[in-house]
Amino acid sequence: MMRILVIGGVAAGTKAAAKLRRELPSSVITVVTSDRHVSYAGCGLPYFIGGIIKEERELVVKAPRLFKEENGIEILTLHQAVRIEPEAKKVEVIDLEKQVHKVFDYDLLVISTGASPFVPRMEGIDLDGIQVLRTIDDAREIRDRVDQNAARQALVVGGGFIGLEVAENLVHRGIPTTLVEFQPQILPGYDLEMALIAENHLVEKGLRLIKNRKVVAFEGDPLGKVQNAKLDGGEVLAADLAVWATGVRPNVELARSCGIVIGPTGAIQVDERMETNIPGIFAVGDCAENQHLLLDRPVWFPMGSTANKAGRIVGINASGGSKRMPGLLGTNIVKLFDLNAARTGLSTREALEAGFDIETVLVPANDKAHYYPGYRNVNTKLIADRKTHRVLGGQIIGEGVVDKPIDILVTAISFGATVEDLTTLDLAYAPPFSMAMSSLITAANVLENKLTGKVQGILPTELFERMEGGEDFQIVDLRSEPEFIIGTIEGALHIPLTELSSRIGELDPARETVLLCKYGKRSYLGARELTHAGFEKVEILEGGLLLYPYETV
Amino acid sequence: MEIRVNAKGLQCPGPLLQLSNAVKSAQAGDRVLIEVSDFGFKKDIDKWCKKTGNTLISLDEKDSILSAVVEVVRKA
Ligand SMILES: Cc1cc2nc3c(=O)[nH]c(=O)nc-3n(C[C@H](O)[C@H](O)[C@H](O)COP(=O)(O)OP(=O)(O)OC[C@H]3O[C@@H](n4cnc5c(N)ncnc54)[C@H](O)[C@@H]3O)c2cc1C
Repeated sequence: MMRILVIGGVAAGTKAAAKLRRELPSSVITVVTSDRHVSYAGCGLPYFIGGIIKEERELVVKAPRLFKEENGIEILTLHQAVRIEPEAKKVEVIDLEKQVHKVFDYDLLVISTGASPFVPRMEGIDLDGIQVLRTIDDAREIRDRVDQNAARQALVVGGGFIGLEVAENLVHRGIPTTLVEFQPQILPGYDLEMALIAENHLVEKGLRLIKNRKVVAFEGDPLGKVQNAKLDGGEVLAADLAVWATGVRPNVELARSCGIVIGPTGAIQVDERMETNIPGIFAVGDCAENQHLLLDRPVWFPMGSTANKAGRIVGINASGGSKRMPGLLGTNIVKLFDLNAARTGLSTREALEAGFDIETVLVPANDKAHYYPGYRNVNTKLIADRKTHRVLGGQIIGEGVVDKPIDILVTAISFGATVEDLTTLDLAYAPPFSMAMSSLITAANVLENKLTGKVQGILPTELFERMEGGEDFQIVDLRSEPEFIIGTIEGALHIPLTELSSRIGELDPARETVLLCKYGKRSYLGARELTHAGFEKVEILEGGLLLYPYETV
Repeated sequence: MEIRVNAKGLQCPGPLLQLSNAVKSAQAGDRVLIEVSDFGFKKDIDKWCKKTGNTLISLDEKDSILSAVVEVVRKA
């Protein structure tokens, strides 16, 4: 009888085991996992802290007992695998409760050891009240402190999606919270101007945000409880709860020490079938690499979405099938208070680093027909290859629906779509669901206009940086009087679009001219007019004042 | 006096133009009640009132409609 051993029992491991059971009904399947909990929704942990998910048990997808009863899968919790012997096909396991060693024979081995939060050693890091968030126990610990009013000032370290979700939920619980990010922006993998939209929203919602700073040490009280964090700029932040969320690392030591090859990303190298260099040993989930769909290289995207899909594929392949995992796009999505943000494919920086000559666009729109109550703004950034017009990536941020357009984009990129392909997709439309010209199609249309030279744009970040650098611009605000009153970019001239042709003499056609309005539509019309009139360089402010993330006057 | 403005279904800058016109035609102490379905208006009205010196008395959200009451302080 075929003996299958799975090491690690959360998303990837239990998925692989369940699929293996269906493929090989008569095999013996055992899952050993070092945690107390199996098959839980790690992705739900921040919302458990926030109280949106009330009870621990709601997070558990399936208890070990049910795996036994319904699937005939033996799950041994608090069992840690410590050594793999590939030649003998044996795995040594410690029963953490009874502190005894056990040896398991296998015919097929699935490694799904996942990833662990990375916490650098530093002064005070072991103080009480400094937490990571990976397991249900971690979440319980944080939530208990909040429930018992033991967290009066919180610090979150790291502005990736886990740090941001934790911060949101702490603010939601009424705790004054500071988030420290060591990069110049939060949301890694998003372009700067997109991340700035999110930053402004978070600050508006009451989060204190400190960027370009590292936490370098903690100080505690005489009882060993954390009191302060010290930053590399010398600042001291008071905090009685600190959540360290600067990223995770794949758990690969067990695999490495038995001769399994670790790839360039630091995760376990696998082929398209998710098999390691040792035949009969598969690796899947957060501990394993994947291919990038657009780049000819392995990547490591530790995501639950991938762990589940790949777990199933391993189940098929380990039972003799040959299903490919073609590659990933680094898709992710996050809710931050009233804002939704999603990304897929290459960011501007990633595309440039990969050697692409790119054109990009940033276009605000709505998620539903403007006359249908309840519509909200969504802002789409697209990145395409200038030569082939192939879409390489996109980011969508707004209070409106972003999951639909991002998934359309994922699909389009996966099948090699060009910008022109996007502009003509036969998407579903009725007022409660979308706009007749959906936000994604509108963005693709503007990008097509840019690719064919009909219009030039400048991003708010570029304009701001170049102005800071002392460069000269002729900035023209084309909005109406009441809009202009609200605030504009310092130094902007006010000429409403309706007056542009009669007042064109006030402008110097030789200066670099930037047109702005609220969304970009009026700027586009103005740019056509000025270009026609012989202006040398006319650009529209992409995203308009709506997405201008800096101070206005 | 209370002036009611229905700016539902109008997109930016429609609601703001309507508000501005209503306030222009009103007297100090009058109230303008405006209903809007464009949520971008939320931030705009706040800033506009601050810049023009009119008072934003209330801003409510119900069934995806924003209702704002502005007291005219001086002619904008
Ligand atoms: C707070 C949070 C929010 C998240 N949100 C999202 C989201 O919104 N969307 C998304 O796609 N992903 C999200 N993720 C990521 C997602 O949870 C992970 O990608 C997913 O859990 C990976 O599953 P896995 O089975 O590969 O690994 P893991 O979940 O890490 O499980 C591995 C298990 O193996 C055990 N193990 C390790 N070594 C051994 C050993 N030697 N012997 C026995 N057992 C071992 C570990 O204890 C662990 O229980 C989130 C993660 C966190 C922490």
